[in-house]
Amino acid sequence: MKRPGRGIACMWYPIGFTVAANPSSAVVKVNEDGTATLLTGTVEVGQGSLTVLGQIAAQELGISADDVHVVSADTDTTPMDTGAIASRTTFVTGNAVRLAAAEAKSILFEVASEMLGVETEELEAADHKIRSKTFPDKQVALAEVAVRAQIVRGRPPLGSASFNPPTVAMDPETGQGKPFATYVYATQIAEVEVDDETGEVEVLRICAAHDSGTTINPALAEGQIEGGIAMGIGMALEEEILFDAEGGQVNPNLTNYLIPTSLDMPKIEVDIVQSYDPVGPFGAKGVGEPTLVPTMPAILNAIYDAVGVRIADLPATAEKILMAIKEKERAEVKQLGSA
Amino acid sequence: MHHIEVTINGVLRRAEVPPETTLLSALRDSWGLTGSKLGCDVGDCGACTVLVDGLSVNACLLLAVQADGREVVTIEGLSGFEYLHPLQAAFERLSSYQCGFCAPGMIISAKALLDENPAPTELEIREALAGNLCRCTGYTKVVDAITEVCRDHANAVGVEESA
Repeated sequence: MKRPGRGIACMWYPIGFTVAANPSSAVVKVNEDGTATLLTGTVEVGQGSLTVLGQIAAQELGISADDVHVVSADTDTTPMDTGAIASRTTFVTGNAVRLAAAEAKSILFEVASEMLGVETEELEAADHKIRSKTFPDKQVALAEVAVRAQIVRGRPPLGSASFNPPTVAMDPETGQGKPFATYVYATQIAEVEVDDETGEVEVLRICAAHDSGTTINPALAEGQIEGGIAMGIGMALEEEILFDAEGGQVNPNLTNYLIPTSLDMPKIEVDIVQSYDPVGPFGAKGVGEPTLVPTMPAILNAIYDAVGVRIADLPATAEKILMAIKEKERAEVKQLGSA
Repeated sequence: MHHIEVTINGVLRRAEVPPETTLLSALRDSWGLTGSKLGCDVGDCGACTVLVDGLSVNACLLLAVQADGREVVTIEGLSGFEYLHPLQAAFERLSSYQCGFCAPGMIISAKALLDENPAPTELEIREALAGNLCRCTGYTKVVDAITEVCRDHANAVGVEESA
């Protein structure tokens, strides 16, 4: 019989580790046509970080993300980055990008200040222009400022910066400190059906609420959360590397190391909970790894809710669940017998 | 060596290939069409999916000589410099790509489905994509994009019929 179950799991996850130095650096140059070029050492692996970094530079410079050409991940030409790891790219690299763009912008502001007769503190960059905050009609095209900065003032508008997350060293006496720059939080709820005659689990629905600070690109954040949940479902129910006695992998193919297919994936509902991190770029924190942390415990709790067995050894395969159900039934019969 | 002639995206192409050459290596290495991706090379991942005489196949499992005289459509055949196929446009609009490596195969599989069945159910869409593995997206936005294309198509047909 198929038995329904629901499970919930919550998590927190640290962003911006500080066990060792954790820097990122970036270079931003503003071109004569009002576009910008961003150099970053980080690697895009499908999470959309280059789009987000381009958006951060664009926001700081008041231009559109389409106008930022991102050059990445070339050790010959791009500045150092610790890596696309630890859910750090938006937070750490994003801050480096923002600071580099701000430095280029400050050069543009100095030049625009003379052009407009407005103090630099009174200027803002928006809509491809530099303008007075109080009197927005006092404005000049960013491209015009960039050209003037180069050929009249001899100060090409470019910036370079690095960012290393701020922390407080752990006190060896008290164990207190601030080991990570910030934390993200999430809750996921899994709805499953477990067949108590075969042990098979079908995940019917996952609802995921994630706090990632102020999300810079909600569509990409949602995509990362959905993808993380797919990995979490795989880890919870089917993915396992099996080794033989010599240490060789027994299941090196996608036919025997199974990852979720479109048919295995349930309905996913994502709720992005907005918050603001004072250190993150434009209030953002991170998305990556935390997305799959609550998926497994939520599914395992749902299995417990459905058939009353706790699986503590992943993946929770049909065999393991069926054995646990049988064991539970035997224990119940025994208890009845002794009573 | 075998001489083969294959119509690829409407253009007749020729090549001399050793008999063990797969259609995928002929596409990528002989004809420079690198849109079809080499993932697992054993027919598990679907990144190399192409249409052969209208049917979706793993190009890594078909020998180039088996494609001799047939019509092949690859991802390059769906768009031009000026336009995108509605599936590609929907994938872009809904951020259905993440790393994008599975996307050419996904889109070809979706095209094969829609050519056959312009109004599939969600289950039929998921069944059509079951041979295309993706590690980034969880398939949610991929299914959303295909659903949107079907809806747009249904609306367009409805407008035509009522006109």
